Amino acid sequence: MSRDLNIKVHHLTRVEGHGNIVVNMKDGILETAHLSIVEPPRFFEAMMKGRSFHEAAIITSRICGICSLGHQLTSLVTTEAALGLEISEQTVLLRKLLVHGATLQSNILHAYFLAAPDFLKVGSVFPLIATHPDVVLRALRMKRLANDIGDIVSGRAVHPITPVPGGFTRIPEKAELLEIKRRLLEEGLPDGLETIETMKALAGAIPQFERETEYISLKHKDEYALYEGDIFSSDTGLIPVENYLDVTNEFVVNHSTSKHAKYNRNSYLVGALARWNNNHSQLIEEAQAAAEAMGLKPMCFNPYMNTIAQVVEAVHCILDSVRIIDKLIENGLKNEKPNQTPTRYGRGIGSNEVPRGILFHDYTYDNKGNIIKANCIIPTGQNLANIDDDMQKLVPEIITKSKEEITLDLEMLVRAYDPCISCSVHMLEVDFIE
Amino acid sequence: MAMLTVIGIGNRLRGDDALGPLVIDELKLMNGSDLELVDVGSDALSILEHLSDKKKVVIIDACKMGREPGSVVSFSPEEADVVLDHDPLSLHGLGLAEALRMAGSLQMLPEDLKIIGIEPESIQFNSQLSRTAQQAMKMIIEEVHRELQNSKRNLKILL
Repeated sequence: MSRDLNIKVHHLTRVEGHGNIVVNMKDGILETAHLSIVEPPRFFEAMMKGRSFHEAAIITSRICGICSLGHQLTSLVTTEAALGLEISEQTVLLRKLLVHGATLQSNILHAYFLAAPDFLKVGSVFPLIATHPDVVLRALRMKRLANDIGDIVSGRAVHPITPVPGGFTRIPEKAELLEIKRRLLEEGLPDGLETIETMKALAGAIPQFERETEYISLKHKDEYALYEGDIFSSDTGLIPVENYLDVTNEFVVNHSTSKHAKYNRNSYLVGALARWNNNHSQLIEEAQAAAEAMGLKPMCFNPYMNTIAQVVEAVHCILDSVRIIDKLIENGLKNEKPNQTPTRYGRGIGSNEVPRGILFHDYTYDNKGNIIKANCIIPTGQNLANIDDDMQKLVPEIITKSKEEITLDLEMLVRAYDPCISCSVHMLEVDFIE
Repeated sequence: MAMLTVIGIGNRLRGDDALGPLVIDELKLMNGSDLELVDVGSDALSILEHLSDKKKVVIIDACKMGREPGSVVSFSPEEADVVLDHDPLSLHGLGLAEALRMAGSLQMLPEDLKIIGIEPESIQFNSQLSRTAQQAMKMIIEEVHRELQNSKRNLKILL
């Protein structure tokens, strides 16, 4: 079909860092289809330079209100790798519990507040409050439960304070963990099952679009990898975390101040869908059943299904948190002090699966324990090239639709990736009524 | 139960945006049992978890009000037209305005809600608190104490 199309979705908010969708088609030939990112230049390295190993995780946790825990944990494992700090089994278990809380919270928020309004074609979450208050309240209840896991384990949910290099400064009480377990089973699980029903009802509205790409996530031999593992590419297999730069291969493009990444293909995908494709058989049985109920099958090449993979993970996180709590209690909670005696100084590389995908931190310490070099590669940056490639395949496939419908499909595509375009400040703008 | 819940919003890494959390730190140092203090960082949506079942809540946040930097203004949600600033591509646009609107629609707003807004001088990443914001901090703390006294007075009238 010979057609001219010109789409520009601009987000001229005051909030620094935002994405613009730009599509340009002339005489039926697609000239441009990409997500343009206008983000402030890298501040990470400058912010970290000269900081001591005690400070690194605190600072990184404040980069972003939503991703704080992910940055903090990756920072801790990076510092521990650089300074040769061994950690206990209890520390690992408590961290895994934290990761589950953070994943649950983020996945649920995305599914209910960003994706569900898309599936219902209501523009934003606000109309849902009037029509489906019970669903919004359920989402908030799940967010709160997830936050409370963070509060109990880390001392403070949003900017955790007790996880430090080498361990925790405070170990949660047995009674606190049992109370979380009770709520996970009595509130979290029923809410999770209701969420599956809600998403099942909405699944028909998920666009049918497929583009096979390379899926990159962590992989662990014994479990669904979130906290630890090796890098895994669906194309090439396992890669040690230390070789992350061989995978990310960041490069500059004109339309984005954030670098793009590519490994074996032109682009790759990270996040819940990549984790599902690479590690689905390691999910808890109930989560696998949830996937089946919602129509998510391996390998899934539809990026819009990322939301469904997130809900599957939410179910996994709820039930696996119960398993972790049982294990902690079975082992007996030990009032351990964090191991903060470095056995070496130098470079360390750390990686975790944070809700939006695989995250890398890379620090080099001097022999006083201060950072001399730092690098951080976030999931959204790694997804940008893949989003562009999706758009370039998608636009010609939906070209018979109206401009408004095409625009919505493209916005939904970007939102499906749950992008963290800017870890930024939210300043309230106020006009006083005179 | 605390007489007054104070919630600080802001990112400690971003200059004057740190004021909300910093005020919470200061109040913690001088706190008796009258205040419940909450630092939600830059996750404004979390305020929803702290609003229900509360009688009186004060929220401290950097606000773009078109005033001189360092200006401190105390207002209720009805007194101001907060501008929704939802970036539809990500959750990161969900700020205080959206959280308040959501709380209003879900009938979760406390009976008495005050927002203490501070006009920031700079919210650049990795910057320090400005001198004007440092001065504003004292005014905000006084304002919180005034609100606390008001609640105590109201409680006495009720009793």
